[in-house]
Amino acid sequence: MTAARRGLGFGFWLSISWLIVISLAAIFAPWLPLKDPGENYIVAGARPPYGPSSTHWLGTDQDARDVFARTIFGARTSLVIGFGAISFGIILGGTLGVLSGYFRGWTDRIASIVMLILLSFPGLILAILITALLDRGLATIAITLGILGVAPVGRLARASTLVFAERDFVTAARAIGSSNRRIIVRELLPNVVIPMAALSLLGMAIAIVAEGGLAFLGLSVDEGVTWGKLILLGAGTRDLERAPWISFGPISMLFLTVLALNYAGDRLRDYFDVKDITL
Amino acid sequence: MLSYVAQRLTLAVCLLLAVSALTFSGMNLLGDPLVNILGPIAADTKNPNSIALIEAAEAEYHLDKSLPERYVRWLGDLVRGDLGVQFSSTGEPPVSNIIKERAPRTAVLLVMAQSLAVLISIPWALLAASRARRPADRISTVTSFLLIALPNFALAVILKYLLAIKLGWFPITYTANDPFLSRIYQTFLPALTIALPAAAVYQRLLRTDLITTLQEDFILMARAKGVSKWKVLLRHALRPSFFSFITVFGINTGALIGGSLVVETIFRIPGLGTTIVEAIIRDDFPVVLAVVMIATSVFVLVNVLVDILYSFLDPRVKR
Repeated sequence: MTAARRGLGFGFWLSISWLIVISLAAIFAPWLPLKDPGENYIVAGARPPYGPSSTHWLGTDQDARDVFARTIFGARTSLVIGFGAISFGIILGGTLGVLSGYFRGWTDRIASIVMLILLSFPGLILAILITALLDRGLATIAITLGILGVAPVGRLARASTLVFAERDFVTAARAIGSSNRRIIVRELLPNVVIPMAALSLLGMAIAIVAEGGLAFLGLSVDEGVTWGKLILLGAGTRDLERAPWISFGPISMLFLTVLALNYAGDRLRDYFDVKDITL
Repeated sequence: MLSYVAQRLTLAVCLLLAVSALTFSGMNLLGDPLVNILGPIAADTKNPNSIALIEAAEAEYHLDKSLPERYVRWLGDLVRGDLGVQFSSTGEPPVSNIIKERAPRTAVLLVMAQSLAVLISIPWALLAASRARRPADRISTVTSFLLIALPNFALAVILKYLLAIKLGWFPITYTANDPFLSRIYQTFLPALTIALPAAAVYQRLLRTDLITTLQEDFILMARAKGVSKWKVLLRHALRPSFFSFITVFGINTGALIGGSLVVETIFRIPGLGTTIVEAIIRDDFPVVLAVVMIATSVFVLVNVLVDILYSFLDPRVKR
């Protein structure tokens, strides 16, 4: 890639800035000068939903609750789910992949079978299945979506470990008597982590979107607001007709975030010239 | 060739067996079917009347057998096309009937979506590749990037708002009793929702491969012999550029199946998506199991077909 030599580019830093802004807004939402997301701002003499105005930037929903404030508060749950999911996927998939790429043999065979089985479920079907069987708490949803990431992350980690395990610096480390544990942690992990960083951004986007899909099926977290649940709230035909802003506010926030994650992930991938990402 | 096909098919069968065993034991160990059949009576083990009811239900649904035995029984029925009984005390129809009624709607939606995606992506990729790195190509790259970042449920809401509500070009809801052709028309918008992001994914891949192919010597040769630019694209460049397209077509089917479940609920199509959601709410696990098995089988089989097709197109794969 010729573009890779020119650095990460303006778009990459713009994406990262957006992600930082939205994360900070989500973290500090209770202390920001926002409207109360649970409060009903009913105006005497007019029936909600109210359109966007200077008091309600993105309008209000059917119960006269501020859409902008709710979208920021929704970011809290959505981002936690996205972040939790991909952390789980990276830790489990990464461990599985590095171990199977390093030790080969039976470890590799068993890990490959586990990944093959995971990959034969269509993604959302597996998520539906797990949420149906377990509860629908925040942690369960995040872990469920994390399981979807295990196989793709694992494959990438295994592929990069296979490449790096052949390199001279690993042979050298082994020659001076380093233990397997030391070789994996000190020599292999730092190299494998770079391609995984690119994948983790893309994976986080996928997890956030998957939560939205679950919300539309009625299977997302049972408490709190998420972007998926907020969009669903305004997606009925009658609400779309008279108050499209109820859905379109959270949609734009979700879209910008997914766009930023995808773009930053793609740029990182090109920058480090990672080839083996298949999602 | 034949041994390669046999090998791929064996692997597919093994995978499906593993998937079904996992799903079946998961549902049986974590859920309690007795509660679904009998309701609160199932918990009331002191009353002799309810004990009799529980034992009758256990015998009727084979719940008194061991887990492996029930799995083998279910698998045997499945092979013969019987997906088991629905768990309910009100005598609902067996699972096979529901599936027979609802699966075709999802199938029509998916086939339509994939066909639309292919029909949109091929001309799009040809156009982009023929103008590589010029303004038209840049616009197309940005468009596909934006489309890929738009989740299917958000796109569904946007398309429903623009094309159905504002412009009124398409009906908003699906009516199961309408004649076939009008149901196809009602399925168009949901299918387009699924197809657009898929088309963007396919277009990106095909464009990259086309650009690589267009740099080959045989293309230069054809151009030098005076073959027109579009003829070169269609006749010479397209076929050898199809490899990654075909692989991703298979892998993407999984995402489309998931997407179709979500899009179905938004456009109110009573297909497999709505079926599995209703079944989950009632903890009706034979239905959930049936839908999971169908979705997974389709996904695995499409990928086997893709692998086989691939080995036909590129004989080097056959090891």
